[in-house]
Amino acid sequence: MSQTIEHINPDVLSAFIDGELSAGEQETIEQHLSGCHACGLRVLSATRLKTATARAGRRFVPPPEVLARLTAQLHGESRRRIYSIRRTAWASLAAAMVLAVSVIGWRQLHETNNLAAELLDQHLATLSSAATPQVISTDRHTVKPWFQGRLPFSFNLPDPQALPSETALKGADLTYLKGQPAALLLFTIHKHEVSVFVTQRFSGPNLAALPSTRSGFTIHSATTHDLQIVAVSDVNPADLDALVATLVRVQAPS
Amino acid sequence: MLGTEALLSMPIHFRDSSRREAADNIASAARSAEFEQLALPLLPSLYNHACWLTRNHAEAEDLVQETFSKALRAFDSFRADTNFKGWIFRILRNTFLTSRTGIAASRTVFLEDHQQALDTTDAGPNPEDNLIRLDNQAALQRAMEQLEPPLREALLLCDVEEVKYKDIALILDIPIGTVMSRISRARRALRQLLQPRLGEPQ
Repeated sequence: MSQTIEHINPDVLSAFIDGELSAGEQETIEQHLSGCHACGLRVLSATRLKTATARAGRRFVPPPEVLARLTAQLHGESRRRIYSIRRTAWASLAAAMVLAVSVIGWRQLHETNNLAAELLDQHLATLSSAATPQVISTDRHTVKPWFQGRLPFSFNLPDPQALPSETALKGADLTYLKGQPAALLLFTIHKHEVSVFVTQRFSGPNLAALPSTRSGFTIHSATTHDLQIVAVSDVNPADLDALVATLVRVQAPS
Repeated sequence: MLGTEALLSMPIHFRDSSRREAADNIASAARSAEFEQLALPLLPSLYNHACWLTRNHAEAEDLVQETFSKALRAFDSFRADTNFKGWIFRILRNTFLTSRTGIAASRTVFLEDHQQALDTTDAGPNPEDNLIRLDNQAALQRAMEQLEPPLREALLLCDVEEVKYKDIALILDIPIGTVMSRISRARRALRQLLQPRLGEPQ
């Protein structure tokens, strides 16, 4: 072998991002990753491909009439095993309730999971060295006006002294969440990158059931009178909370 | 016809067969309700997977329908400590394999790759890996369509259905090492399929 460094084998890397390695194997990989930037990029890239595949693979949704036929069939099939009429009635009522709850639950879960995936994806995209924000500025007086005419709403940014310690604004981007325009604010907290998405509260995506973590990243959200704020980062949750709280505070009408 | 004497000499549980039947019915009703409770939330997932397998909506509906019938009939053999999702996906897959489309599909020979040959050739990191476009959902779906079915199937179970390798091994009836290499191979194939799009305008 001419290679001096033994890079991670593709099968192992694939199993690593699927969380399928034993604790020992995982540790070996993590050790390698801490010193190998190239493999680190491969892991990041593989994670993004996995997320994108998960989303693209959820492609076929049963049309309402198919859903109705299949659930009816499911009730019918199980009813055939029951003799008593009264019991059948109770069983169908219970089944109908379970169905209603589970279908709503599935929709909501998938919607919020998709949203969490979208947030994380966009956050990971900002981490790539190739990605430069559209506005590179630490000055809130530059960043805020930039959004004028680009967003159907306005928001306030705290001045640098009001930010928690070791927290700084780096720049901003215009982005879209579930097809709605959003401001993407890029912060750093102790060298950890933070993506903050600001959307309109009533027309923006529903954040109510958003998971608080995904793939090791913390997701924190808050709402103000008419805005929604979601922050994604690998920084410790308390620091992320402090930033979100500061952003919420400056939105209050003075 | 049995005389009174014969009837009286029969063991209690025979005389009481109607009551026992009623008890059976209650147990059966509970079992059915349990089945519905487990199967209903998986309906959209099963339908989606069936569509990927059959590539046809009407066939997918029939496939899910037949899967439910078979699964309910076999539900007594389902053990509560095993993974229901894996169990029902296995039934879905086996049902597909015996369908016309499934039989036709199984005529295409799939070769498991020769691992050593592939692994050493592309184990090194590829700087272009990071450049593939993932924001174009349609392009990714087209690439997924082009994957060899055994690779696509394993990848969908892993990424979309979030099934663990050991359960994928049970569903596909292959060793866990093969699951691992198929998923990895599927991802490398997807990258290759997405790569040529780089030069194209957005």
